Amino acid sequence: MGIRTKAIFFPLFLTISTLLFSQQKTNTSLFEKEIKKRSTQFSDKPNFNKAQSFYLAKEWDSTLVYTMKQLNVTTNTEELKNYCHLFRGHSFFQKKTLKEAKRELLMVSKTFYFYNRVKMILGTIALEQSKFKDATHYFKEIEHLSTYELYGIKKSNIEHNLGICYLHLKEFDAAEPYLIKSLKLQEEQKDTLGLIGTYGNIASLYYEQYKDQQAIPYFEKAYRLSKTTTDYTAKQNTARNMAVVEENRKNLSQSLVYRKEYEKWRDSLNDQNKIWEVAELEKQFAVKQKQKEVQVLQAENKIKIAERNGFLYSAIVLLVVLAAGVYFYREKVKTNAIITKQKETLDELNATKDKLFSIVSHDLRSSVHALKTSNTKLVDNLENKNLEVLDGLLQNNSAIVNGAYNLLDNLLHWALLQTQQSYFEITSIRLFFIVEQIAYNYKPLMLEKNVDFKNKVSKSDMVYADQESLKIILRNLIDNAIKFSNPDGEIKIYSRNTDDIYCELIVEDSGVGMNENTRLDLLKDSVLLSKKENENTIGTGLGLQLCKSMIKKNKGKFSVKSELGKGTKMIVSLPKTPPNG
Amino acid sequence: MDNVNILIIEDTPEESDALSNVLLANNYNIVGVARSLKEALTMFYNAKVDIAIVDVFLDGTPDGITFAETINIVPDARRPFVFLTSSTDRQIFERAKLTQPFSYLIKPFNELEILYAIEMAVEKFYGQTDVFLSEEEDTVISTEYLFIKKGKALKKVFLSDIIYIEVEEKYCNIITEKEKFVILISLTKILELLDNSDFCRTHRNYIVNIEKITEIIPGDNLILLSGNHKATLSDTYKNIIKKVRTLK
Repeated sequence: MGIRTKAIFFPLFLTISTLLFSQQKTNTSLFEKEIKKRSTQFSDKPNFNKAQSFYLAKEWDSTLVYTMKQLNVTTNTEELKNYCHLFRGHSFFQKKTLKEAKRELLMVSKTFYFYNRVKMILGTIALEQSKFKDATHYFKEIEHLSTYELYGIKKSNIEHNLGICYLHLKEFDAAEPYLIKSLKLQEEQKDTLGLIGTYGNIASLYYEQYKDQQAIPYFEKAYRLSKTTTDYTAKQNTARNMAVVEENRKNLSQSLVYRKEYEKWRDSLNDQNKIWEVAELEKQFAVKQKQKEVQVLQAENKIKIAERNGFLYSAIVLLVVLAAGVYFYREKVKTNAIITKQKETLDELNATKDKLFSIVSHDLRSSVHALKTSNTKLVDNLENKNLEVLDGLLQNNSAIVNGAYNLLDNLLHWALLQTQQSYFEITSIRLFFIVEQIAYNYKPLMLEKNVDFKNKVSKSDMVYADQESLKIILRNLIDNAIKFSNPDGEIKIYSRNTDDIYCELIVEDSGVGMNENTRLDLLKDSVLLSKKENENTIGTGLGLQLCKSMIKKNKGKFSVKSELGKGTKMIVSLPKTPPNG
Repeated sequence: MDNVNILIIEDTPEESDALSNVLLANNYNIVGVARSLKEALTMFYNAKVDIAIVDVFLDGTPDGITFAETINIVPDARRPFVFLTSSTDRQIFERAKLTQPFSYLIKPFNELEILYAIEMAVEKFYGQTDVFLSEEEDTVISTEYLFIKKGKALKKVFLSDIIYIEVEEKYCNIITEKEKFVILISLTKILELLDNSDFCRTHRNYIVNIEKITEIIPGDNLILLSGNHKATLSDTYKNIIKKVRTLK
């Protein structure tokens, strides 16, 4: 008998707890509202407010922390303390630390508005602690209160608990009506699990009293009902109860079936737990796997970003290098082009210089050679006292030396001009006197060639020029005019002052003239020298080139008018006003 | 009219000889030929020099410029000068140019060029440019002399030798004790340039050397001058009497 009782007693506990819990769940809103309403008076206490909100949110640990903080404040009212103790008691109860819960709840004063709730929890604690008499005492105190006063604690719950208490106290007569009452209520509410528990309890009630006839249908009811649920514990318990019942009826085979079923449910519960665990593990594993994948992906992403950045940077660097390369290459090409051009000019100049050298030296050589032969003749004639010939020879020598001197003079001025070493000062100059002074040197030459010279420059005509360079220009022009004049020819120098800016000085001869090509060649702004067609009149063209350069330096203009066989006009235009105003 | 005194500073005898010949041929008076700077300065301060012709390079150094710089220090002793040089080296020219007034001639030169250069130097020195080359004038007036262009060369006349000047349109008859000649100069210019403590206008056409006045006869409007010369005194210019030193 002892074994039988034990075997059946065990499931009762679970039923109580479940009931209490489910009851609270469904009825909290009413209780919450009341708590909120009642505790607004403490809204100025932040710790209490937090404790309250955590309590209502069923955050038990946080509730404990903040209530403790509030309780540490010394100025608390009795009511505030009551609330705190209630919250703490309930929280401890939920945390299954029953002794602490009981201690807290006992500190709540009996006049507290929610003291019934306190009693309910104290009762439940006593029940849990198997102090059935204490539990009965608490439950009895609140049994007859109206539902409203209980704030969501169901009467059926209290009755059920009382039933269980009496059952445990073996006061079956007292237990029976309570259990039946709660059964009825549960049937109304269609609380399947509650029903299974209550059926089991009623069955136990009868079974304890050996009223097997009454007990067994309840066991069977509970068993059948458990089939319809998925609750393994209920299934297991009912099956086990059935197995005990059948065993006691000596219906061993049937008992074995139930026992097996019980074990099956127990196993499946275990399995369920294992599956849960496995599932949990799998889940964790999967999560880890995912985590790893995510990490791998992140790492990959990082690598990709790094790669991309690397690419980007290297591309930029390459681009810059390329641009710089292109820039420098182009610069180099440009520079090269300039250098090539300069080289060409330089080569040209060099060639000209070489040519100039050869022509000049050739001319000088000819002059000196002529002088040499002339001197030999001179000596011969002097020995023979042939004095009449001497005069002619000396005249000839003088002419040769004059020519050579002019050439050298031009060469010197050319060199000075090229190196910019010469003194250059623009002053006002009366053309007439300059012409007179220069022509003075050529009088003997013109006389010899019987050339008629006329200086018809107006004495009032003035130009602004550098005196020395103007003299060089005039020397060359007059020299040329004489050179290209036929004997008994005429050379006229005159000015034409018709322009606002320039005064023209014209050196006109009636000599051989030149064709159009020669004329254009002369005016070309190049230093290219060409050997004259007229071989016996020596000249390098250096003189005219020098003239052109000098005229340019004096900000003047130069032009030539010529007709082959009739003569040439060399026209030099010089400014009448000083440069820069 | 006297010849103009010229000091030649030239270290090369051939060149100084040629130059002397040209100048002598044109009635210039050579007061000396200096070969060195020292000689040149001695001659310059001892002789009455009107114009100096200076070779820039004496014995390879630009002592010619030093000479010009030296004579320029004493304002009253300054005289016109012409630089001679065979090179147109710019640095030398920049230095020579500082000895204002600056006239130069590049060697080799012919007769016309040296005569022209002397004229230019005189013009520039007395600040009366464009005189000798123009057709309107031929005289430069210094504090002591009239420099007159006669033919190709210059002549000088002591201002103190002049008795009176008679103006005839753009000509001026200069009457000295020894001679009488015509110069080309405008009346305004001659009045401006002559020292009016020495010369005084007595008539629209007469300028008289105060020193040469022997007698003033206001009643006849006549001024008697030394050498039996006579000048007219018009009413406009009668205040000349105040200027003349009279015995009291």
